[in-house]
Amino acid sequence: MLRRSLRQTVNRLARTNSAAASRAVQRSVQRSVSTKKTLNVGSTGRSFSAAPAASKPDVSKFFKPVEVTDSGVAIVRLDGPKAMNTISFEFSAAAKEMWSTEIAPRSDVKSVVFISAKKDNFIAGADIQDIKNMEDKTQLLPIIEDGIEFFKDMKSKKIPMVCAINGPALGGGLEWALWCDYRVCSDSSKTKMGLPEVKLGLLPGFGGTQNLFPLVGVQGAMDMMLTGKDIRPAKAKKMGLVDLVVSEHQLEHAAIRAAEDLASGKIKVKIPRKPKSWMAWGIEDTPPGQSKMWETINKMVMKNTNGVYPAPFAIIECVKEGLKSNDMDARYKFEREKFAELAATNESASLIGIFDGMTSLKKHSFGEPKHETKNIAVLGAGLMGAGIAQISAEKGYRVLLKDKEDEGLAKGEAYINGNWEKKKKRKTMTMHKYNQNTANIVPLSDNTESWKQHFSQADLVIEAVFEDIDLKHRVVKEIEEVTPDHCVFATNTSAIPIADIAKASKRPEQLVGMHYFSPVPQMPLLEIIPHAGTSDLTTAAAYNVGTKQGKTCIAVKDVPGFYVNRCLGPFLVEVSALAKDGAGLELLDKAMLDFGMPVGPVTLADEVGIDVSNKVASFLSNADLGVRMTGGDISLMGEMVEKGWLGRKTGQGFYTYDGKKKTISAEVKQYAKDFADRDLGLTEEDVQNRIVSRFVNEAVMCLQDEIIADPVNGDIGLIFGTGFAPFRGGPFRYLDTYGIDKYVAMMNGFAEKMGPQFEPCQLMKDMAASGKKFHGPNSAAGM
Amino acid sequence: MLRNTVSRGARGFATAAKSSQKNIVMVDGIRLPFAMQSTIYNDLLAVDLQRLALKSLLTKTALDPAMVDYVLCGTVIQETKTSNIAREASMGAGIPLSVPSHTVTQACISSSVAICTAAEKIMAGQADVVIAGGVETFSDVPIRFSRKVRQKLIGAPKAMKKGPAGIAGLLKGLKPGDLAPEAPAIANFTTGEVMGVSSDRLSAKFGVSREEMDHFTVRSHSNAAKAHEANWYDGEVMPFNGSNSENGIKPSTYEKVSSLNPAFVKPYGTHTAANSSFLTDGASASLIMSEEKALELGFKPKSYIRDWAFVACDPFEELLLGPTYGAKKCLDSMNLTMDDIGVFEIHEAFAGQVLSNLTAMNSQTFADQRFNGKKVGEIDQSKMNTKGGSLSLGHPFGATGSRLVSTASNRLQREEQRFALLAACADGGLGHAAILERYDN
Repeated sequence: MLRRSLRQTVNRLARTNSAAASRAVQRSVQRSVSTKKTLNVGSTGRSFSAAPAASKPDVSKFFKPVEVTDSGVAIVRLDGPKAMNTISFEFSAAAKEMWSTEIAPRSDVKSVVFISAKKDNFIAGADIQDIKNMEDKTQLLPIIEDGIEFFKDMKSKKIPMVCAINGPALGGGLEWALWCDYRVCSDSSKTKMGLPEVKLGLLPGFGGTQNLFPLVGVQGAMDMMLTGKDIRPAKAKKMGLVDLVVSEHQLEHAAIRAAEDLASGKIKVKIPRKPKSWMAWGIEDTPPGQSKMWETINKMVMKNTNGVYPAPFAIIECVKEGLKSNDMDARYKFEREKFAELAATNESASLIGIFDGMTSLKKHSFGEPKHETKNIAVLGAGLMGAGIAQISAEKGYRVLLKDKEDEGLAKGEAYINGNWEKKKKRKTMTMHKYNQNTANIVPLSDNTESWKQHFSQADLVIEAVFEDIDLKHRVVKEIEEVTPDHCVFATNTSAIPIADIAKASKRPEQLVGMHYFSPVPQMPLLEIIPHAGTSDLTTAAAYNVGTKQGKTCIAVKDVPGFYVNRCLGPFLVEVSALAKDGAGLELLDKAMLDFGMPVGPVTLADEVGIDVSNKVASFLSNADLGVRMTGGDISLMGEMVEKGWLGRKTGQGFYTYDGKKKTISAEVKQYAKDFADRDLGLTEEDVQNRIVSRFVNEAVMCLQDEIIADPVNGDIGLIFGTGFAPFRGGPFRYLDTYGIDKYVAMMNGFAEKMGPQFEPCQLMKDMAASGKKFHGPNSAAGM
Repeated sequence: MLRNTVSRGARGFATAAKSSQKNIVMVDGIRLPFAMQSTIYNDLLAVDLQRLALKSLLTKTALDPAMVDYVLCGTVIQETKTSNIAREASMGAGIPLSVPSHTVTQACISSSVAICTAAEKIMAGQADVVIAGGVETFSDVPIRFSRKVRQKLIGAPKAMKKGPAGIAGLLKGLKPGDLAPEAPAIANFTTGEVMGVSSDRLSAKFGVSREEMDHFTVRSHSNAAKAHEANWYDGEVMPFNGSNSENGIKPSTYEKVSSLNPAFVKPYGTHTAANSSFLTDGASASLIMSEEKALELGFKPKSYIRDWAFVACDPFEELLLGPTYGAKKCLDSMNLTMDDIGVFEIHEAFAGQVLSNLTAMNSQTFADQRFNGKKVGEIDQSKMNTKGGSLSLGHPFGATGSRLVSTASNRLQREEQRFALLAACADGGLGHAAILERYDN
């Protein structure tokens, strides 16, 4: 029983783990970066005490006037100046002022209800810029301490405090709720509670690591804090995070009644609410159970993060400390010290950089399209097309999914429905939502007489047909015949220049590239590729759709490989060069895993398909990268394609797959050995530096050639497109951290030894010479 | 006084309505492939089948779901969780939540009722665009506890309050036999008779032989198979999982069919598993509009629904003879004879039932007894069910009526005939007939 429960916990915790490399890419990103729209940092970095001495805090800016009912319930309504309540410097000062003037002195106040005056949020988090801008992170310590003092001060009035939550209560918002005695939340689909600090490389610093686990148990608390996931109302009630779930219309009434009943003693609450189950007790409260539990959690963290992120370990330490000691003040002190340490790490800075980047990339400057996109047509119901259709339908677009044959169409639909069935089974999708989604997909084949009528309603067409220029031209012409004049035509090509495809179009200004990554539902990146003649409003329409589909979009110039694949080209070549130099397949994988990539290059090739990887590599070898695609020998993969070793899909690639197990067969070992020219006895570091430098150099080259707009696009692109170690913040931030001059020197060394393919690009050399950085106040961004 | 005013008023209204009566058109109709029980739809609920049928109709016609005024669905064996299956299916098919819907049931002619109710709604000015369909699944039927056990279970919460004694009392009087589950039977509630037995008796009464029935059965399967082979049903039978084949069609020889033993009346009855329709899962849907609305929206309707009749007869003696009475009523009211009809679509519950009706329609004796000597007429079998019928395609109770309308309309168009006569029998001595006229586009 113990084992089973542990396994469940681990499964729950480790749900983000998967063997599939492509999934891992996305996962590693999700793990480390919040993909939520709201700014959800746990703890504020601002002072409660350091209120501006000169002026009195403006309570009315953040709170509605406190009302006190006849029964002595003080109703505190949070109402910040922005659409979302967030914890800021001013807010904190106002809260303190509000409490000390309006609640603390009043003896007729018998209980308090905290509720938001906003329609759809409680507190969405805190302003991340505060922490980011603080040079010396130890300055955070007194600020957090003062916050804790404020909460303790509220507690010391010894009257029941009830928190009423509708909409998000995240990070510091939830920590506020945890200081209360009783929590009521609405059953709205917008209501979610979570401590997502880990996604920014931080921890819940306002008592979260100490106040959560007594309430919901260590296993539940670790699950929340290590994954940063949102907890929905029903789950929150079940795990004891909230005491009551009501409709949003009853929220205030229920909270007031609960406050009255707590004050009168009619309801009494204990922590935890229910006695623990024997199993939970065995795991969480007995020494052998605990040691097994921590072992399991550690293993899971290692498995999911390869141990490169400090935040999960700091969170674990805080909870362990909390279990050891009864001295609350010491525990909160321990927590905030850990918080300050984390805030000073490169990892946290990187993750915050990614978060900021994602937020900034939600907006674009291409203008507002005249037509709102409602109906999207997807051509081709293969894996790509079906994936695109799925994410579009989920977001409420009506999707015309068109394939030539009924069979192909049925396969595409089955793929989509299968994905949704899984969600339905896991209860992350209701039956109604499932039905709505399926209803949003209009399956059309050449046999459907009315397909042209349907297409006359299309606002955007995304083609995902076979990569053949003649076919694409035919499709463009055929579709433009039947779509309305305003319709945008997007091509999901990865190998054909957009401008070439546009040659067949009678409306080339309305043709744009939308390059999705496979598998589409999991991969978070979308490259938007306007060709030289694409109008800005067309790009804007594509960008808006991509963003609504839940993708982070980067606009990329129309060059071979666009951005992500272009960077992968030299990467792949270098892998073959290393194999020539005697680096074993396991070494290649291990080195890159240790660098922080979600999967090694060998596994990645297997997962993507050796044939596909080979195609990308040979395509780019024949493109405009010149010397940068030399130095290796991509026949390594070409010969494998001939042998039919196509990767995981055929059960045999570099690895031999047997169910979940993968091994390297003697035959492949011999093949690799025969391929090698020599054995340089390469170390893990050699492998990392050789691969990464080619990768990173190409990224900088792309910036130099204005293929990408700025380092933010560049970082996000490679992190979301290839899984580039998120804790390193992307290629540009990595260079900043490493030191550009040092990096240039290293590459020059490689170039001398191995050839011009290692020569750092001009921009990198210039940056090294000038001492500028890609990010930060001294950045060269916007050149 | 008051009554007089009301009736005058009503009469006045009726006259007004008549003069501006709208033409009803069938714009298009589809069905999901009909399939034998517990085969391709084994994991779906009836509501899923209906939802998919509605969705397929929307896809086929490219009708904007927001244009729909009303949804009507027919079904027979109801899943209690979805007793208004029309509503659940409509919402699940992406039709706006603001579109109302209700469910009708009239045994095997349930979707005929749905379609005719749609027509009546349009004529009454209540709607212009109505989707009418029907569904049945035999892969999932409400198998229940016995009444005894149900009574105990309903009383349980009260009994539990009394503690152990109450629980003991609950179990008192329960016999092991009470625990046997009850499955719904294909038998009439009032007569208690299984339908196959009724049909067997009707056939005996009209002198229909086993041989005729078996030949009729072979013909039905052969017609259906040929129609599918020729892709005649493309566009009418929408693909499910990429295929629109219907797995109940089993072309066979007379020898094989005639070798089967009777299934209902043993040992000398005539009805067998082959010459009776089989338990079928399926769903269908038709798009019904006023003519002016259809044209306004740019549709090319397939047929006018010109007249329809629902009739009832003595379920003890003539349970399945409704088609004869219905056909009589429609032809008379339209002033048509059998010679005017170019397309017949007659529901084949049992080969014996169809042949009995054909005999009755053309029997002078029967006409003398029932119709003042005027026969309904002789149906030219070469124009009847030429693309298969319920014996071969299958008969999902709630869905068959809409299938008849779709197939008849498509035949009118492709065979360039003017009028179609549809007829179907239903449990309870009910019957239905309708006359369609080709729409010239």
